[in-house]
Amino acid sequence: MSEPLVEFDGVDKFFGETQVLDGIDLAVDEREVVVVVGPSGSGKSTLLRCANRLEEIQAGDVHLDGRSVTEADVNQIRQQIGMVFQSFNLFPHKTALGNVALAPEKIRGLPEDAAAERARELLERVGLGDQTTSYPEALSGGQQQRVAIARALAMDPTVMLFDEVTSALDPELVGEVLDVIEDLAAEGMTMLLVTHEMGFAREVGDRIVLMVDGEIVEVTETASFFEAPETERGQQFLSRLL
Amino acid sequence: MATQTDAESDTGGVMMRDRFVKRVGEIAAGGFVLAIGGLLVWILSTQVDYRLLGSPLIAGRFAEAFLLVVQIVVVSSLLSVSAGLLIGLGRISTSPVTGRIAKGYVEFFRGTPLLFQLFVIFFGVPRLWATGEFPIQNWAVPAAVIGLTLNHAAYVGEAIRGGIDAVPDGQMEAARSLGMSRVMALREVVLPQAWRNALAAIGNDQIILVKDTSLLTVIAVPEIMSVFRNINSNQLDPWTPLVWVCLLYLAITMSMSQLVNGLERRSDWGSDSTMLGRLTRGSGGGEES
Repeated sequence: MSEPLVEFDGVDKFFGETQVLDGIDLAVDEREVVVVVGPSGSGKSTLLRCANRLEEIQAGDVHLDGRSVTEADVNQIRQQIGMVFQSFNLFPHKTALGNVALAPEKIRGLPEDAAAERARELLERVGLGDQTTSYPEALSGGQQQRVAIARALAMDPTVMLFDEVTSALDPELVGEVLDVIEDLAAEGMTMLLVTHEMGFAREVGDRIVLMVDGEIVEVTETASFFEAPETERGQQFLSRLL
Repeated sequence: MATQTDAESDTGGVMMRDRFVKRVGEIAAGGFVLAIGGLLVWILSTQVDYRLLGSPLIAGRFAEAFLLVVQIVVVSSLLSVSAGLLIGLGRISTSPVTGRIAKGYVEFFRGTPLLFQLFVIFFGVPRLWATGEFPIQNWAVPAAVIGLTLNHAAYVGEAIRGGIDAVPDGQMEAARSLGMSRVMALREVVLPQAWRNALAAIGNDQIILVKDTSLLTVIAVPEIMSVFRNINSNQLDPWTPLVWVCLLYLAITMSMSQLVNGLERRSDWGSDSTMLGRLTRGSGGGEES
């Protein structure tokens, strides 16, 4: 077996005195889609944010492609990790195209027209080829989130993190965002997702990670997780959803 | 249904009260304009000597003072906004030393009168040299520019810090997660938004800067108020030169507001979703239009 692309190794995370992650071990293989589920406050989002060091960890380490995230240059390692947020966080002073083109232009030093060309391709890929000149304010939540996905793809990341990306959306807009993520999965993007959409988790996930109180309780193949979770906690979690 | 009737009559009552308040406001505003306007017309028709108003003696001296004030304002404005940007950045610095120095700067220059600061620079600084050794001959205007710049940089700095604080944390996070350094994220993402947030406050401060030039009369800068004082003591006719003073200050401050409005429009991306924008469009603060 080849080495996993992302590997959490005994990760502890504290907010002050409170421990939010407790000895997290998790390996995500290349082209794999791992979905993290669990009750609110169980540390799912924090787990994601430790992967690209938006949160500092107090013990353990995270490796990306064999490189220690905590030791590598943080700005460089983040370029290999695309992240999409619950609240989109688009840059309001830039058009959809400007949002996507900004990082390649400023970080990679790509010429303006090349960056714009690439941004146009990415916006087309998320179905927004006709909205390149729109400012975020003029876009629906679903469109904004798709721009955010295109923006995260612009640096050609090797792995994508999705942090409850449909939680802030009106129900009728969830589908268009999930479709884009499904396409990405089909193209073989490695992804780590936190979501409350169990139907989607079931559809897109290769494996399901159940977190409770800062610990990973269970890691199971998607199909078997939804049919028969291995642990009692898993059964409780599922039964509460049904 | 009883509850529905209650709700309806309630809404009716609120609407009546709204209309009443609006009418009271109109009467008050109209009455104010009539009173002030009447007084103004009376003064302008009985107190102002129009032959004197246009005489080269008065108009010429005011023109000179006006040009000097405009020059002082332009230079002090550019310098204080630039310095204020640095102070605002210092205030949000992750280095505690820089942060504290910027805070101390603001506390001092906001906490002492501009007049005191002008005295320190105009009277105090030259005395640091031996008598007659101070190298700058006409110290009043440079001292004025330095004083106005140092003082207003503190206010601009606070406006910019407020503007930065108002940018959601998610903006910095999104920029950093793309791989931008903190400096790049500030430059490309946070500051353009902070600038827009701070523009109104900066414009406000710069208009105060214009009016603060009137203090320069006490450090012997031949500005607009000092011309008034000279003419007033010679002619015993305050109203004629006062008309000049009023028009000249308004000319500068109103150009300044035009400039700020222009800058605000230029950095207004997307639709106007500000409270003021919604109110002036009359949609009453609703989210959707």
